[in-house]
Amino acid sequence: MTRVNVTVNGRAREIDVEPAKLLVHAVREDLGLTGTHVGCLTGDCGACTVRIDGATVKSCSVLAVSAEGAQITTVEGLAGPGGLHPVQQAFWDEFGFQCGYCLPGMLLTACELLEDDPDPTDEAITLAVNGNLCRCTGYHAVKRSIRCAADRMREGS
Amino acid sequence: MITRDFAYHAPADLGGVTAALAGGDAVIVGGGTMVVPDMTHGRTTPGVVVDLSRAGLAGLTQTAGGEVVVGATTTYTQLLRGGELAPLLRRVAGGVTGGPQIRNKGTVGGSACYANPSSEIPAALLALGARMRLASARGVREVAAADFFTGAFTTERRPDEVLAAVVLPSPDGPAFGYHKLKLSESSWPIATAACVRGPGGWRVALGGVAATPLLVTIESADPRHVRAEVARVLTEPWSDVLADGDYRRRVAPVVALRALKEGEAS
Amino acid sequence: MTSIGTSARKADGEVLLTGRGRFVDDHVLPGMRHAAIVRSDRAHARITGVDTSAAERAPGVELVLTGDQAARHTGPIPHFIDPAARGGRRAEVRCLAVGKVVHAGQAVAAVVARTRREAEAAALLVEVGYAPLPHVLDADEALLPDAPRLYEEWPDNVILHNHYGTGDVDAALAGADLVVTETVRIGRTTTAPIEPRGYLASWDRFDESLTVYGSVQNPHQLRWMLARSLDLDETRIRVVTARVGGSFGLKMQGHPEETLICLLSRLTEAPVKWIEDRRECFLSGAREQVHRVTVGATNDGRIVAVRDRIVANAGAVTAQPGWAMPNMSATTLASGYLVPNVEAELHVVATNKPPLNAARGFGKDGAHFVMERIVDLVARGLGADPAHVRRVNLIPAGRFPFRTATGLNIDSGDFPGLLDKALKALEYDTLRARQRELRDRGRYLGIGLAFELTPESADGPGTFVSGFDVTTVRMNMSGGVTVLTGVTSPGGGNDTAIAQIVSDELGVPLGWIQVVQGDTDRCPSGFGNFSGRGMVVGGGSAALAARDVRAKLAVVGARMLGVAPEEAEVTGGVVRVAAEPERSVAVPDVAAAVLTRAFAVASEVEPVLEATRAFKPGNIDHVPDERGRIQPYPTYSNCLHAAVVEVDPETGVTTLADFVMVHDCGVVINPALVEGQAHGAIVMGLGAALTEQLSYDDEGRLLTDRFKSYLLPRAGDLPEVRLEHQVTPSPFTMYGNKGAGEAGVGGAQAAVANAVEDALAPFGVTVTQVPLPAPVVLDLIERATAK
Ligand SMILES: Cc1cc2nc3c(=O)[nH]c(=O)nc-3n(C[C@@H](O)[C@@H](O)[C@H](O)COP(=O)(O)OP(=O)(O)OC[C@H]3O[C@@H](n4cnc5c(N)ncnc54)[C@H](O)[C@@H]3O)c2cc1C
Ligand code: FES
Ligand code: FES
Repeated sequence: MTRVNVTVNGRAREIDVEPAKLLVHAVREDLGLTGTHVGCLTGDCGACTVRIDGATVKSCSVLAVSAEGAQITTVEGLAGPGGLHPVQQAFWDEFGFQCGYCLPGMLLTACELLEDDPDPTDEAITLAVNGNLCRCTGYHAVKRSIRCAADRMREGS
Repeated sequence: MITRDFAYHAPADLGGVTAALAGGDAVIVGGGTMVVPDMTHGRTTPGVVVDLSRAGLAGLTQTAGGEVVVGATTTYTQLLRGGELAPLLRRVAGGVTGGPQIRNKGTVGGSACYANPSSEIPAALLALGARMRLASARGVREVAAADFFTGAFTTERRPDEVLAAVVLPSPDGPAFGYHKLKLSESSWPIATAACVRGPGGWRVALGGVAATPLLVTIESADPRHVRAEVARVLTEPWSDVLADGDYRRRVAPVVALRALKEGEAS
Repeated sequence: MTSIGTSARKADGEVLLTGRGRFVDDHVLPGMRHAAIVRSDRAHARITGVDTSAAERAPGVELVLTGDQAARHTGPIPHFIDPAARGGRRAEVRCLAVGKVVHAGQAVAAVVARTRREAEAAALLVEVGYAPLPHVLDADEALLPDAPRLYEEWPDNVILHNHYGTGDVDAALAGADLVVTETVRIGRTTTAPIEPRGYLASWDRFDESLTVYGSVQNPHQLRWMLARSLDLDETRIRVVTARVGGSFGLKMQGHPEETLICLLSRLTEAPVKWIEDRRECFLSGAREQVHRVTVGATNDGRIVAVRDRIVANAGAVTAQPGWAMPNMSATTLASGYLVPNVEAELHVVATNKPPLNAARGFGKDGAHFVMERIVDLVARGLGADPAHVRRVNLIPAGRFPFRTATGLNIDSGDFPGLLDKALKALEYDTLRARQRELRDRGRYLGIGLAFELTPESADGPGTFVSGFDVTTVRMNMSGGVTVLTGVTSPGGGNDTAIAQIVSDELGVPLGWIQVVQGDTDRCPSGFGNFSGRGMVVGGGSAALAARDVRAKLAVVGARMLGVAPEEAEVTGGVVRVAAEPERSVAVPDVAAAVLTRAFAVASEVEPVLEATRAFKPGNIDHVPDERGRIQPYPTYSNCLHAAVVEVDPETGVTTLADFVMVHDCGVVINPALVEGQAHGAIVMGLGAALTEQLSYDDEGRLLTDRFKSYLLPRAGDLPEVRLEHQVTPSPFTMYGNKGAGEAGVGGAQAAVANAVEDALAPFGVTVTQVPLPAPVVLDLIERATAK
């Protein structure tokens, strides 16, 4: 077992993991944050997406031990005391999900995109979610949700 | 799940990396995008894992002699944000699929060392005439990209060596073209062509179409000439579940011509 | 009515958005163990021995179970749809293979350990001895007299052989001006929900009872099935449908692991969890058919006869209902067209591929692909515009209910209306002109049309495919409403739409309503989700139950207001005097009165603020007509798809340029939810048309075992899919609504196939298969130009 110190959604946490443990399993089992999902364990689906030091990664392709010292954001960390994050709100209003299994990946990649590029083109939105598979929505409402979030966030700021 | 236990090292510098590799039975994790899932699915079962993420190998620098040194752990995202010194690699990075998550993690060195026939970096390095800088406890050596890729998933790298950097002979690849053919956004690249203008014409490296990337020199972008040259080098086309060798044989010249067309216009 | 017809947001939105949706893998029970499954790497072999000793010694292992051992504790798994009840053959399906394996990937042994990691590690140590048997992977080959036989007790490999249709096809073909014959193939795809299957079974040895959390579509049927296979009393079993991360038919029951995981829990006396991995999930097939069609048409474009010989590759026999899908391919033939003479012969064939499991489209998609290819082939043969041939043959609006040659009694529709709207949305004539212009410049644009008829909300007599469902509406003392329904939601959001219905029918705000689904101990006995039934029968039964409760509120409320019940109305959470809306009493006060003043102001009603009702659509009819046809579907949603593609003739790559679907599912309860379903189904069809295909090696082992080889559409593959609605209410459902959820797969697939052929018309290409990945298209071009 290796002791790993991470800051998760703003809180310092300490976990003991085997070096062989994937970050996605550490997040789900050791940190108890089951909002991050497993869909493939091959890096293809994006359901396991988390942000490490601001950058989205597929946490099934990261060893938990390698996250020592990192700032991790999971889907549970998006909403603040004031309620849902504007991206979450937009996904709700615009029906950006159905079963919600892909949702953590969609939300976190959308947040990363909009921080980099507050007014993304349709192409940029597509490129941002291209690593996330969704079998329910056909992506139409996902893209619409991100556009809506971008518009609202720009108006709000 | 990764079922076998291993010892984990994340050395803080290159010396630490080469020391950790010296013991044998080690697997290197660059960005981990290929190798971690491979461990999960039992395709590789190392006793030691050496993680490069803290070894400080990322970044692009230019030497006094004008060469560009691309650190092995430079990610696609880093190329996109600061790859002015390596425009062809940056161009490749922009087309890497799998979303920002893969571009944030996948590295130039990982793509090169994995030597997947379907990966894009190897052919780009070949077109650029890159040298692969390999380090081990025994020292540092450089291998030309043309000699580095020895077969599907195999390279000239010895088990105790790490790819520290790739060295590009000139900074701004005077003129280049790139074209990638894939079946869809989910698909591996099926055929790629990277072309760089050199003294004797275009250096065109074909990726995805054979076990290793193939280099042809094209004097003129005349389609007949290109077709003939591609046919000459493409003797054993690669087959996989997405496309058989016959398909790759047919599209390889098309992809080469499209890259050349872009190159000519650049 | 205020809520029905509006796009109320998903009721579970906040829970899912904040990562609190509890999927099956998120459930943890004290003392929980983990299972891993050892699967066959042979397509057909006798099991000569299973050596579990090394696995048993591995760390953390508590049990290693073989097929022989499992067979001592469990019986065969009963079929969801019994082939024997349909005139077909049944094979014994066990939770672990006994004696022999019939497909690669079949479960042979199972390991239970403290952690999943230990279970997976130990599973690698189980040694299975096999004596290979000859295998057959192709359905046509499996039909040959000397083909290897999967089930020794059968005389051949045929699960079902049946004929469908009426009329005199021979005579009609003889009189036709044009006869076209073609063989078309539909490749093997899979549903691939992003959440794979999973079960958590917990045996309580004190109670002798079993609780199962599962990612499943049909909890009540699963309970029945487990009672049979585990020889338990149904009353001892509780199935709870954890939140489901997409299903698309896959999670209908009949999978061996359902019984297996329960058995493992019983044997270890601990909760046992098993979560399918992605490679296992890819074992499930969704469709694979060959159609040999002959079609006759007159010079004016009328299709007079269709003959189709269908061979469907069902893979190995399963208890899951997937094997029955090809039945619907035959029954849906001729789709929404006026074809008087139809003859379909169907062979559903067992092979040594993994089983077919139910999939969105449920076989109807096969009919759409074939019919739409036929219409285009006729158009081509006659030199006519495909839109024109569709207009000539589509059933006109005035002809409903319309009985098709295969027996379906289509309730209602305006099919030519769909076509008009689709052509308008495309700007068809302009687009054709643009196509010509681009062709001159060496660019190949193609336009493909496809009509899709989606019989929905099926009822299969004697099976658990039920055409009705049951809902309880219960008001508590505070006026809050719990709706317990037998239909479940795999993510589409029918819980939200049911709440909307209850809100309107009961007259209380949406926020007061909580919908509970998928728990056999709480919900009335119902049938879960399949066949677009959620709103038709779930919504219908919820409406009836809500009305019963409202009637009581009206009686008691009226008395509290001092008026006659007829003068009172319940709306917006109050009972008020209709003529004097300001005179009102709050529903919670009325509810309290019913429950606390049963002998006073509420003395006229039975003091139960709860009703349980079933909804049975009026037009299901299982009595065969004079020609032996039955009518198992109450609603027939329909739509018209138009795909615009551009094909790169040098590489064969097809790019989707535009896509329009005009959809008619009658009255829409929640437009955004319906549109979401349609988008998802269309994209599933686009994947099946272009890139999705399960491939196997010669030994029957799956080659496409990850998302980089089985290619699901991604955002960047898709054009802006455009949807338009047309509303032709169903006369037979509660609100005139029709099933929604399946429509899209078959039509999208067919429209793209037609578009690719249209694009490549200058080369003379005939599209005879889906999917159409680039290598296939390039082959088609080369073969056509070589001719
Ligand atoms: C969803 C998805 C989409 C993708 N799309 C594309 C695409 O479009 N084009 C494309 O080309 N690729 C694609 N890839 C492959 C992509 O993972 C690689 O291109 C990536 O660059 C690999 O880098 P890595 O650092 O993650 O490698 P790793 O997984 O860390 O390593 C790969 C191999 O190289 C070895 N290795 C890594 N670094 C070194 C080093 N410095 N020295 C010696 N050995 C080393 C490892 O031991 C391992 O064997 C995709 C992958 C995924 C999962
Ligand atoms: S589980 Fe990590 S990408 Fe699918
Ligand atoms: S909403 Fe179900 S996978 Fe995206």
